[in-house]
Amino acid sequence: MNNTTFNNASTSTILHVDINSYFATLQQQENPHLRGRPIGVVKDEGRSCIIAASKEAKKFGIKTGADLPEARLRCPDLLTIPAQFDRYLDATRRLKKIFTQIAPAITIYSLDEAFIDISDCQQHLYPDSHRLGRQIQQLIKNDLGEWVTASVGIGPNRFLAKMASEISPPESVFEINHHNLDAVLAEVKFNDVCGIGYQLEKKLLKMGITHPYLIRLYSNDDLLPIFGPFWTKELKKMAYGQEPHHLELLNEPLPHMKSVGRSITGYKLYDNEQEIKSILYNLTEEVTHKVRQMKLAGRAVNVSLFGQNRGWGQAPQIWHQHLTLKYYLRHTQEMFQLIYDQLYRNWQREFKVIKFGVRLGMLEPVAEINPSLLPEAQQQEKISAAKDYLTEKYGLFTLRSGVLLNQPLIRPEVTGFLGDKTYHQL
Amino acid sequence: MFQRIAEKIEVAGVYKNTEFIPRKFQWRHRVYQIDELTLISDIKDGGIRKRLYSVTSRGNLYRLCFNRDSESWLLEEVWYE
Repeated sequence: MNNTTFNNASTSTILHVDINSYFATLQQQENPHLRGRPIGVVKDEGRSCIIAASKEAKKFGIKTGADLPEARLRCPDLLTIPAQFDRYLDATRRLKKIFTQIAPAITIYSLDEAFIDISDCQQHLYPDSHRLGRQIQQLIKNDLGEWVTASVGIGPNRFLAKMASEISPPESVFEINHHNLDAVLAEVKFNDVCGIGYQLEKKLLKMGITHPYLIRLYSNDDLLPIFGPFWTKELKKMAYGQEPHHLELLNEPLPHMKSVGRSITGYKLYDNEQEIKSILYNLTEEVTHKVRQMKLAGRAVNVSLFGQNRGWGQAPQIWHQHLTLKYYLRHTQEMFQLIYDQLYRNWQREFKVIKFGVRLGMLEPVAEINPSLLPEAQQQEKISAAKDYLTEKYGLFTLRSGVLLNQPLIRPEVTGFLGDKTYHQL
Repeated sequence: MFQRIAEKIEVAGVYKNTEFIPRKFQWRHRVYQIDELTLISDIKDGGIRKRLYSVTSRGNLYRLCFNRDSESWLLEEVWYE
């Protein structure tokens, strides 16, 4: 295989923009007292999992997902800041506006990452892609603030553009082209390669493959027994800098969501029936509200409960049940009845609960489903319509079930990888 | 950390490039000159559109909230250490 043949579109130029330490950087932009200090963003006050670390905290080896007590051992001055998911999402919308002004072909890949395809407009508008990269960095600063920095990677496809931004220092512009491709693939670590996760990396290292370039030295016969036909093909593509399947899928129009789920880890271990009921109802309400907003309905109901991690070698405390219905649902009350009265009631209360999850799957557009003519279903439809109208007009939780009274409300939040991109219309 | 205030305030500012930029606000009969506008965010609380302004005044950070439906201002929070 010719290593200059990156992909089927070798004349393409893609930019990958990655905002450095996104959540933490935005917090520091907002609050000058935090700038230059090691901070860890947590979901809420009192939480102990760091969901984002600032550049300064990263220097102490604090990474996303770090446990707070452990992080404090590494960095006693670490400040913890509660996340502001609404503001991060808005910042992403602002970034999208900036990118759309540059080129029409953009893809928001996650909350803090986007691909900009300038292939069609490079010749006349952006002959110098490095200069464009620096302009993008400045536009981001102009809009979001001076503290917000971004790395820009340039490549002939999304795979290499992303790799370029991953391996470049913060606030830099780096290009992978046919001159440096082999050198980069021979040096890059697998955790900077999009599509190679922890398990896959472990298998590769076990074979002595430490860098993508080395995959070229192995035949399909060597790789097939270990990785199977799909991953053998994908790894071979990556070894030559070609775009893997999961990035090619970005060319396809976004399908409607197949399932909507919501989970939350509590502040404490829950054993009180009223508290558990309230949390399950709250999560169900968020799920069904999202499903209705997207004009979908589903028929696979799932509930999961997790106990405290009992330590190394101990089986985790997990209980989950699901139900596949013959009809579609999308209303809070009907889903909650199934979750609480049918599924949850089967639980033998073997452990105290730290984490809760509910999910509605097998979603289909309401327009493609025959509506129920039963009076109860019609009544639910009217109740939900009235409730959605009041939420739209007066705000979330203005009208809420008595089940949620005197209980802390769980508000919707976005995830960094933006799994609900369709819902947020990004 | 932030201290919740949630009190009504009055805000004066200018329009620049079609965007409102707050310059000062009055809270509890005292006027605060805004030194830096650090972050603006448009958020939705259900269907209610709100614009959050994080501003500094004399070294302190304030979160101001403009309810775009009722056109009212609120001092949401103040940062203290």
